[in-house]
Amino acid sequence: MRIDPEKCTACAQCPDYCPVTCIHEGDGVYFMDEDECVECGVCLRDAGCPTEAIYMPEESNRYPRSIRAAFSDPAVQYPEELFPDLKQGGRGTEEMKTNDVTGNFPRGEFGMTLEFGRPGTGTRLREVEKVTTLLTSLGIRFEGSNALFFLLEEPERGVLKRELRDEKVLSIIVEFTLAEAQLETIVAALFEVLQTVDTVVSWGLVTRFEEDGSLPVTDRLEKLGLTVRPNAKVNMGMGRPIIED
Amino acid sequence: MSHSAHRCGTIRNLQNDYTMYARTSRHVNREGCGPKLRKILDIFLSENPVNFGSSHSGKSFAAGLDPEEYSRSLDKAYAVACCFSSASAIRNVLGKLKEADTGISIVVSGLIEEIKKIAEEVGLKPHTVLLSLGVHGRKELLPKEKVLEITTMCGHGLVATPLVEEVAEKVKEGKLTPEQGARFLAQPCPCGIFNLDRCVELLKEQLSEISQEGGEKG
Repeated sequence: MRIDPEKCTACAQCPDYCPVTCIHEGDGVYFMDEDECVECGVCLRDAGCPTEAIYMPEESNRYPRSIRAAFSDPAVQYPEELFPDLKQGGRGTEEMKTNDVTGNFPRGEFGMTLEFGRPGTGTRLREVEKVTTLLTSLGIRFEGSNALFFLLEEPERGVLKRELRDEKVLSIIVEFTLAEAQLETIVAALFEVLQTVDTVVSWGLVTRFEEDGSLPVTDRLEKLGLTVRPNAKVNMGMGRPIIED
Repeated sequence: MSHSAHRCGTIRNLQNDYTMYARTSRHVNREGCGPKLRKILDIFLSENPVNFGSSHSGKSFAAGLDPEEYSRSLDKAYAVACCFSSASAIRNVLGKLKEADTGISIVVSGLIEEIKKIAEEVGLKPHTVLLSLGVHGRKELLPKEKVLEITTMCGHGLVATPLVEEVAEKVKEGKLTPEQGARFLAQPCPCGIFNLDRCVELLKEQLSEISQEGGEKG
């Protein structure tokens, strides 16, 4: 995003709307720190600029910068030329939301989600690479159904495309599956690497309910030092045809 | 998109905060899903949701999305999101969805134990869960918890910390009512999962804490 200095009246209405606080006061006008801007579009849509000084310049739509809006503005679909066969907005996948009909997370496996830049700080993509390279070294593989896959130069090593490393997005999800037996190893490794990232990461774990409705993994997670929040996202098992074990 | 999985809060102030998400699967039941999504939206609307919408609509009910216009647009959608402020509404919606048997996957976010209890009452068997394991990394970058309880109601992170602080200040000064403040803060969240009722309660809670602090000092 950009603020047209000729139109800006320095009314100070827009800075509070910016989720990554990149609108600053300058020489009698406000300006956007475009290196920090994640192109989420909130200032353009919601700040109500009285002179319409805020706009999206053409450069914002050019690769690699175009990645920013794709991962920060839920109203923007992933560009088809960059994410062939994905056709969706938002930043993640069907994940556990449709697991009752896809069976992507079967018994015996866990899903893991690491959402970089959430809540509300944003992240440079190079921070993500610290985790993707670690995970591939531990045998984790990334699948083409996740937008992250298309950002990798070498998916088998978790290496990002060089030109993307300095791009900043509001958030991006690293999503993968692991065998139940790998939980302790993966969590220990992630604890270590997450201490080195220059952003925040919201961590999630996907699991099936047991037949009696219990979630035995919570005890294992607590023993590993992870606190399980009392609130969660639950697939109610209403999709059809349901995948039976 | 785990946009309702990591809402911050206490068991007490998450008690009446539920989001519901109907999501088609691309290779299973997305083709021609418009009429089913419309049916689901009708069921959602029959139980007085606090808010609804989806990213494809570009704005939420709280930001002026017209239900009829939205319903017509669902032929091009793959999901519908909605937000409720009571367990009874969720119970009723799930009962009606069970009867409608659309075959579209339904996800409910909220307190796990409450959701399990409601599922049992309605005769449903929860299938899969995404557990939230908290925030890691540079936590010193985060605002205070009271702000996070509001900003994380937009899972895409579009409600800015300074906006919450500004609105809370205006509510404190009496320039905005908590209700006006909540409506203001809901605007940037297009998916319609920002719970305005809970936001009102959180703003009132902050006011009450301020007055208690004043009382203690006095």
